[in-house]
Amino acid sequence: MAKVKKAETAEAAVVEAEAADDTAAAAAPEAAQDDEVDEGPRAGGRVQSVVAGAVPVVLGAVAAWLSFGLDIGSLTEPGPGLWPLIVAGLLVASGIGIIAVTAKTRRDTEAFTRGTVAVLAAAGGLAVYASLYEVVGFEVPTVLLLFAWLRFLSRESWLMSAVLAVAVTAVAYVLFIIGLNVPLPHIIAF
Amino acid sequence: MDLSPVLTGFTVAFEWQNILFCLLGVTVGMLIGVLPGLGPAATIAILLPITYNLEPTAAVIMLAGIFYGAQYGGTITSVLLRLPGEASTVVTALDGHALARRGEAGPALGIAAIASFIGGTASIILLTFIAPALAGVALAFGPAEYTVLALIGIFLVGTLGNGSIIKSVAAAAAGLLLAVVGLDPIMGTPRFTFGTDQLADGIDFTIVAMGLFGVGEILYNLEHRDRPDKPVPSFGRAIPGRLHWLQSRLAILRGSVTGFVLGILPGGGATMASLVAYAVEKRTAKDPSRFGKGAVEGVAGPESANNAAATSSFIPLLTLGIPANATMAVLFGALMLQGITPGPGLMTDHPDVFWGVVNSMYLGNILLLVLSIPLIGLFVRMLKVRPGILAPITVVITMIGTYSIRNNAFDMLLVIGLGLLGYGMRKLGFEPGPFVLAFVLGSLLEASFRRSMRIFDGDVTEYVQQPVSATLVAILVVTVVVVPLLRRVRTRQTAGAEEAGVRAD
Repeated sequence: MAKVKKAETAEAAVVEAEAADDTAAAAAPEAAQDDEVDEGPRAGGRVQSVVAGAVPVVLGAVAAWLSFGLDIGSLTEPGPGLWPLIVAGLLVASGIGIIAVTAKTRRDTEAFTRGTVAVLAAAGGLAVYASLYEVVGFEVPTVLLLFAWLRFLSRESWLMSAVLAVAVTAVAYVLFIIGLNVPLPHIIAF
Repeated sequence: MDLSPVLTGFTVAFEWQNILFCLLGVTVGMLIGVLPGLGPAATIAILLPITYNLEPTAAVIMLAGIFYGAQYGGTITSVLLRLPGEASTVVTALDGHALARRGEAGPALGIAAIASFIGGTASIILLTFIAPALAGVALAFGPAEYTVLALIGIFLVGTLGNGSIIKSVAAAAAGLLLAVVGLDPIMGTPRFTFGTDQLADGIDFTIVAMGLFGVGEILYNLEHRDRPDKPVPSFGRAIPGRLHWLQSRLAILRGSVTGFVLGILPGGGATMASLVAYAVEKRTAKDPSRFGKGAVEGVAGPESANNAAATSSFIPLLTLGIPANATMAVLFGALMLQGITPGPGLMTDHPDVFWGVVNSMYLGNILLLVLSIPLIGLFVRMLKVRPGILAPITVVITMIGTYSIRNNAFDMLLVIGLGLLGYGMRKLGFEPGPFVLAFVLGSLLEASFRRSMRIFDGDVTEYVQQPVSATLVAILVVTVVVVPLLRRVRTRQTAGAEEAGVRAD
């Protein structure tokens, strides 16, 4: 019976995520709270909602400032800076709109969780991976990335992670370098 | 209407390598449809670099197959596990899973496959007759018309989505801003390049799609790693009985028409179509209380609708050059990579590509119908592969693909950065769809706007004084009024579906 209950709430959450309207969006967090087993994404707080509006405002302001550095021209003879300036204005306006209206009426952000650390770690690891590519070839960084991801982010066993990391890299080598002739930097050559 | 290019299209579609790519596309599509998390837009984005070396027709046939194949695949998990693989199969889960629990999973999947097939095929036939007419009208469009048309496209995609309208506008504006990076399209001045040569050519569309849809989705899913492990009900014979067929044939017809119409609408697409079709079925049923408890019509209607919509959403892309949804935006990019500009000229300049791709969909739908039933068991077993293993493999493929575009590690860093942006947008309640779509249409919109302003001598009111562009402005105004109404209808429907879902147990 517990299984059935779980299935039901998971489905309800999916259907609710589809809902466009405020009432359904407001109902979603309640459903998530009722559910003890399956923790759906939790809505973010007021601060996060305001940040969601502040980001476009700041982005728009910076873009507008950069646009003035280009030639704006006129409506008759538009310069390179006119279009970015219009877009920047739209960004600032919608950002203010989000702070003034949306942040008060809707709870459509998602709270950051412990999982956020994993996301940042993954992105950081990928950045290191990308920087190593042209220095030491693709084989070693790929094995290391796969192993680290499988072991520490996906929590597979040491053995499983090691075997999969080497196997996937080998398949990628055969598929991309030998099969598709993709010019990847590599150290092992035949 | 001259049918000879249509017939030539059949010979193109039935060349052996195109059949092969069609098969490859629909199989991959069904597979990712089964796996929750990775959607068709992300998959197509990740596979874009591989299509560089393919012949244009084969490439687009394969990518299109992934898109409509995913609609079939999503149904399987909806019915068996009540885990919709795709957003467009969410309502199918209500009655489909109720049928499965009654031991009628086989017939439910069979009806879904047949409904999908009929919906998809009917939609291709309608497309064949409507697309040339639409392209004919669009040939007369100038810069002013394209400005308004691109605005309509961005507006509809932004507002018909699930998020707040104003947040979609902000996301679209950010996408337009990113499209500015690079050389000015008319004067060649470098803009927002921050002095680097790497950004002088602008940011490749593939990079944006792979970053936001590919890496962004993987990072987002990393935060919610647990997937409930559910027992799979036995599905028995996948052949629906006479009664199932009698109950659902009208639903299939209605669903096909609903789906076709809503699919053409930018932003409508398969999800919207399946929700509306479910509402229609419930309203026209003699006994609406059966819905949610295993009504076959509740599977047949939405399934024919989402496939019809998936097919008809190609129409705006292929005839106007305006992608109707995020996946079409990625296909827009795929065509551009092949040196083909989607638009009214496509049908006359590249009839082999146009009709080859359209007619390959007949074949694709037949393949899906034939494949989906025997492969259900295999796909269900695929679900046992842990997402934690798939994610790093997908990431590595994405990274290799990115590098191969320009043999440039800087692009990889860009993809990672855009992936983080996509993750952050999701967390703050912005949808990546409008962003990517606006990015795609950004340079068209800017160039058309600037050209039309020159033609109009700086007079903005000319947009409403020219007859054709005035008509389009009127359409834009009508959509601004109609969209909130449509959203209200859909919300009521979603609430109803939810109620039905709760009662089902």
